[in-house]
Amino acid sequence: MPNLIMFHGRECPHCKRMMPLVERLERETPVRFDRREVWHDEENADLMRSYLEIIAPKCGGQLRVPTFLNPGARDAVCGEMPYEDLKAWALKQG
Amino acid sequence: MKKRYWRCFVCNDIHFGIAPPELCPTCKVLQAYVEISAEEARKFLGSGQDVALAPEDFRGAIERFAAGNEFRVNPDREKVDLLLSGIFENEKSHGFKFCPCRLRTKNREEDLKLVCPCNFTVHETYRGVPNGECWCGLFVRRT
Repeated sequence: MPNLIMFHGRECPHCKRMMPLVERLERETPVRFDRREVWHDEENADLMRSYLEIIAPKCGGQLRVPTFLNPGARDAVCGEMPYEDLKAWALKQG
Repeated sequence: MKKRYWRCFVCNDIHFGIAPPELCPTCKVLQAYVEISAEEARKFLGSGQDVALAPEDFRGAIERFAAGNEFRVNPDREKVDLLLSGIFENEKSHGFKFCPCRLRTKNREEDLKLVCPCNFTVHETYRGVPNGECWCGLFVRRT
């Protein structure tokens, strides 16, 4: 599986809701996410900013969390979504 | 268009904008604003009372703000509590009440669009959406 990143915020309710779905996906499939908190870790924030050109067009023109990113394929999806949608996006990256 | 500073010649209210208010919202005098420098504005603002706004005060402020609008503060108290804690963490660490569900780009003009409450009414998550919300879910359309 490619290297996938989940950018999230500690006080973001959408991220909090998505976290158990990410954990479930990792239990049930070979998918793995590199979790990067962006409001309390400037290195992670800079990493997310470095992908602005990939993320913004898919996320309302902004950097929003949660964002799920495949840097290699320059593909991203953001926001709260059902488990099956996250799974479908992650598996198609492989 | 560049925003400038204006002072009410009656009550010394300070306004920052492209044009002065026609009616002073404090003393209700018409055509009362005169343009001043940023330095002069800072002196007037600095001489005012220190107004603290704790998270609970901010909750009241956004509830009053929403009261006259087509949206309201999310009735999900737990969600709002988490968001308020993030908003205040961001103000403490990064200088402004940035939305905890987005990230600043370090471009000041763009980042000021992330200060809560932001102008979410133009966002795709709210505009034209029957159960629209701002991105973080702090404000939801009244149904």
